[in-house]
Amino acid sequence: MLAINSDAESTAVPAPLVSVRNVQKTYFTRQAPVQAVASASLDVARGEFVSLLGPSGCGKSTLLMMIAGLEQPTGGSILLGGTEISKPRRDIGVIFQDATLLPWKSALDNVLFPVRILKLPIEAYRRRALELLNMVGLSGFEHKKPSQLSGGMRQRVSICRALIHDPDILLMDEPFSALDAITRDQMNVALSEILETYKKTVVFVTHSIREAAFLSDRVVVMGGRPSTIALDMKMPFQRPRRFDIEETPEFAMVCRKLRLTIEEAHQGPLSGQTSANETRAGETRAGTIE
Amino acid sequence: MTSTGLASTGIGTETGAIIATAAPQNDDGLTNLRGIALPLGLAAIVLLGWQLAVTLGHISPVILPSPISITRYIIAHYDILLMHAVPTTLESAAAFVLATLLGIALAILITYSRLAREALYPNLVFFQLIPKIALAPLFIIWLGIGSQSRITFAVFIAFFPVVIATTAGFANVDKGMLRLCRALTASEWQIFTSVRFPAALPHIFSGMKIAVTLAIIGVIIGEFITAQAGLGYLIIFATARADTEISMAAIVVLCVCGLLLYGLVALGESIANRFYSADNS
Repeated sequence: MLAINSDAESTAVPAPLVSVRNVQKTYFTRQAPVQAVASASLDVARGEFVSLLGPSGCGKSTLLMMIAGLEQPTGGSILLGGTEISKPRRDIGVIFQDATLLPWKSALDNVLFPVRILKLPIEAYRRRALELLNMVGLSGFEHKKPSQLSGGMRQRVSICRALIHDPDILLMDEPFSALDAITRDQMNVALSEILETYKKTVVFVTHSIREAAFLSDRVVVMGGRPSTIALDMKMPFQRPRRFDIEETPEFAMVCRKLRLTIEEAHQGPLSGQTSANETRAGETRAGTIE
Repeated sequence: MTSTGLASTGIGTETGAIIATAAPQNDDGLTNLRGIALPLGLAAIVLLGWQLAVTLGHISPVILPSPISITRYIIAHYDILLMHAVPTTLESAAAFVLATLLGIALAILITYSRLAREALYPNLVFFQLIPKIALAPLFIIWLGIGSQSRITFAVFIAFFPVVIATTAGFANVDKGMLRLCRALTASEWQIFTSVRFPAALPHIFSGMKIAVTLAIIGVIIGEFITAQAGLGYLIIFATARADTEISMAAIVVLCVCGLLLYGLVALGESIANRFYSADNS
């Protein structure tokens, strides 16, 4: 099965930083092999923010874990700056859905955790850690333990932790999906501010259309069973972005296009019902799929 | 010596590990006072009833000496009691330390080696079904009449709860945390020292709390069988001469020694908690 890839539309860019080539992933379970990703190809340029969008179970997280080197593709290859990724690398920072902080360490020590693991000089990185915590609005909370922080604060600590050793690439696996809607909006703004300061190449997995459209330079829609790439679309919004872009008709059009693509890719019993909602909500904002 | 009873059989140790886990502390001053006053009050009532039963002549002091006469004996002969308490305490402490180290080492083996997990673990559990106390005389044949046979037997009795609790602790590590470590290219050793071991500490300590009481039981049984000194020896010696006062005094001192060792483990736990607790303190 071949990927439906709209790469041809995009203008010729210099050699991509991350290059996903015909990647497949099949899990061999005791009953029958389960194909999580049928075929996926995409390129991510240096400094680009690309979202992988799709409903739960569409293989987007699997693809991200393969880019992280935490899972091995069963077909195809993933290149980083021309070399194949076969295991985790220190120039990739990963942020998971759960903050996964050490409960007995302070926020500051949790941010410094990669520094310890990578055997970098702790003292030299302490200032950077404090700077990062300050940047995400956590100054004053450096010495609090995770149990004393809210869910949003904990996820901010984990973002700081991913940035501390200055990796080229950030991989984010539904980092805000465990947060409430208001906190999530705040986190989206915070993240785009962070990325204005610390320019990174980001691959971001989400099932929120709005979140993907707001944050990304490009949105890649994954769908179908087994899943393929259904759409690879540039976001036509200027940076820096503020929340008011969500009120523009352009934003609504983009969300509508993304939603229709997801529905087409799935053609499940849900599609009729959701497209009825779509026509009503189309003029303002499209919510999250779930 | 509260958890001795529930932990004395190998089978009961898993339940024991759960019970031995510290109950959540209530900071309310009044509740704290209640927590101390109620058990002490009950103990005082029991002691008073005991004393009255003996002084009023319901029980012969030869069968059961009164609390006051036991206390009087302890005060008068503290030097003899202390002389016997020292070897028992030291041997128990040695057996406890060795049982803890052996237990943790086996837990590491079981956690990291699939072969060990599949081959060793079921055998360890099966081993617990043997009434191990029945093997005590054999240890004397194998290792002689010195302290080494008592310590070895006590280790043999005490290591199992540490293995079970520590293995459970190592397995209890957050899977997401392990994935993060792998993403950071952490080595197995780094994962062990910075994540697995600290996360398992509460489990390890609850295993150790049971092990310390079992170690004392092991040493006392060893002393029952053969010894030239020690509280177990003193109890057997006095009982053989129907001198219940000495026996009871030795048992009281034994309780104190047990509390001392248990207290040291609890102290170790609270020190570890200062570094590895999820609460700010």
